[in-house]
Amino acid sequence: MRFNDAVVGTAFLLIAGAMIAMTFTFPAFPGQNYGPSLFPRIIGGGIVMCSLLLILREWRSGGRPWLVLEDWARRPAPLASFALMLGAMVFYLLASEPLGFMPTAFLIQLVLFLWFGVRPVMALIVAAVMTIAVQYFFGSLMRVPLPRGILDSVL
Amino acid sequence: MTAIYTAFGLVFDPTVLAVIMGSALFGMFVGAMPGLTATMATALLVPVTFFMAPVPALGAIVTATAMAIFAGDIPAAMLRMPGTPASAAYADESYEMTKKGQLDLCMGVNLVFSVLGGIFGVIILIVLAPVLAEVAINFSSFEYFWLACLGLTCAVFIGTGDPLKGLLSLFIGLAIGCIGIDPAAGQPRFTFGNVDLLSGINFIPTLIGMFAVSELLRGAVTMEKGGRVVAQAVGNLMTGVGAVFKKYWFNFLRGSMIGTVIGALPGAGADIAAWVSYAVSKKTSKEPEKFGTGHIEGIVDSTSANNSALGAAWIPALVFGIPGDSITAIVIGVLYMKGMNPGPSVFLQTPELIYAVFIIFILANLLMFPLGWAAIKSAKQILRVPRNILLPIILIFCIVGSYAMTNSLYGVVLMVLMGLFGWLLEEHGVPVAPLILGLVLGEMLEQNFMSSMIKADGSLIGFLSRPIAGVLGVATLGLWALMIWRGLPRRASRAALGADGARG
Repeated sequence: MRFNDAVVGTAFLLIAGAMIAMTFTFPAFPGQNYGPSLFPRIIGGGIVMCSLLLILREWRSGGRPWLVLEDWARRPAPLASFALMLGAMVFYLLASEPLGFMPTAFLIQLVLFLWFGVRPVMALIVAAVMTIAVQYFFGSLMRVPLPRGILDSVL
Repeated sequence: MTAIYTAFGLVFDPTVLAVIMGSALFGMFVGAMPGLTATMATALLVPVTFFMAPVPALGAIVTATAMAIFAGDIPAAMLRMPGTPASAAYADESYEMTKKGQLDLCMGVNLVFSVLGGIFGVIILIVLAPVLAEVAINFSSFEYFWLACLGLTCAVFIGTGDPLKGLLSLFIGLAIGCIGIDPAAGQPRFTFGNVDLLSGINFIPTLIGMFAVSELLRGAVTMEKGGRVVAQAVGNLMTGVGAVFKKYWFNFLRGSMIGTVIGALPGAGADIAAWVSYAVSKKTSKEPEKFGTGHIEGIVDSTSANNSALGAAWIPALVFGIPGDSITAIVIGVLYMKGMNPGPSVFLQTPELIYAVFIIFILANLLMFPLGWAAIKSAKQILRVPRNILLPIILIFCIVGSYAMTNSLYGVVLMVLMGLFGWLLEEHGVPVAPLILGLVLGEMLEQNFMSSMIKADGSLIGFLSRPIAGVLGVATLGLWALMIWRGLPRRASRAALGADGARG
């Protein structure tokens, strides 16, 4: 998925515009000429300049199509792989608190393994071993408070 | 002298040595796997080092990166797939050697000259850093402002194929760095009333997102099932390496020199060092027609260069707090986390830590020889680890690492968003390394800019009135002028062509 540079430039132009607009809400400090809004305004100005140059460059070079889809984005299998990888992270965000780290991590690995074609027995073993290893290393050795979830009474 | 003794005591501690050994193996593995870069190795290591004392933490990063840069040569030669971008410059050349049946010689030369180049870079670091620190101790906010500008400018114009997009990336990084409480007046900016954003964008989850998650997203769509098969057996590595050294010792010195200079330049790292020294080697060679057909000469130059760049990149990082490449950008983040703000005062206040870093660097390069030898010998097994098992495991490490930085889901949210953002940027040819540099340097740049503005009362002359600041300022402004002048006429046609060329 690739937009042409004019689209990219326009997107950042809008973001930088919003950023500069927000700096006007920052309070000024009496007696101080240079306040917290100065630096973001300069940076915002820089983004605006780069965006305009990008748009200009795209326009001068004749302009490519607005959006080019790569080969993988047209085929369902790689597209699903991409979505699944991203979905796994979103699933962790939603499920790790109620389910706990271990079940969530185990499920994520198992599903991804199976989808990417690891043999089921192998997938089960690796997912279980890695989940326990990470829980032990980060949870016990490094004392990261990984969510316990449904295993609260067991751990 | 006592500081040196203390440093030895700090390094030769069983725990520290164990950490170094462990991260060496980790670095070898990550470097040898195509698609997993040295930067990614560092990004994944940082959450672990977060819980360590400064010396083992730095030791882990130094060792892992040194190993990863070398190990990238292994799949480059065996599969024509560079393990890290730093080996890309001579991957074809190495593979041609393998096709001619010279895999042993190629690997032996890569190993020996990686070790030697690495040590060369470290020696320059050891000699130069303390001297520069004595100069830097007199620097005021003006000098630091110009240094940061100069560093970021180099990062954009040397380190990227398309300077305009590099510059955009840098500004985005600086803009992201503005989120949180501003360093001069304490005013919350762009936080939208969110408590998590008040502390700023946490650096580590951003890093993991940009360098690891985006890689996972790319990897997911190019997944091949099963591992890769290496056909050729590895024999005796050292046969003929002596002869190569005798014939091409000058190439080694030149490659290491180029690597050191490029590494020490802020913003350009091992991969650019390898490309430049390979090109120089080809240009000045007596037999340039042999390049690309499996000729060892260019490999000597560039494999020395990428390892020497690694040590040299620490010079601006330790002395000025300005990163030499994306790996040292991570190091600077780690140093701040450990409360030892990089800069000349570290050399005065805690010289034993600096010496400890030097010792670890030497140790890591020496360790590279036996471990690298073992890695080459077992490359068949390492490369057989299938990516469909690796990627999901790395995903779990990314998640846990980001979570551990904030002890809340905020870290994971940040990682996912930054990963997706980084992936989108790279898809559109916008490099993410300048963004990371901007994010790391943003606060320092703003702080020095604001205090300089207030001191000079807004006049540009004030920024240039101190001698060193004047030189740095004129150099920076000159560089900007040069870039604008060069950019103007070619903006229309050549730049667009160049951008496409770099992408394809």
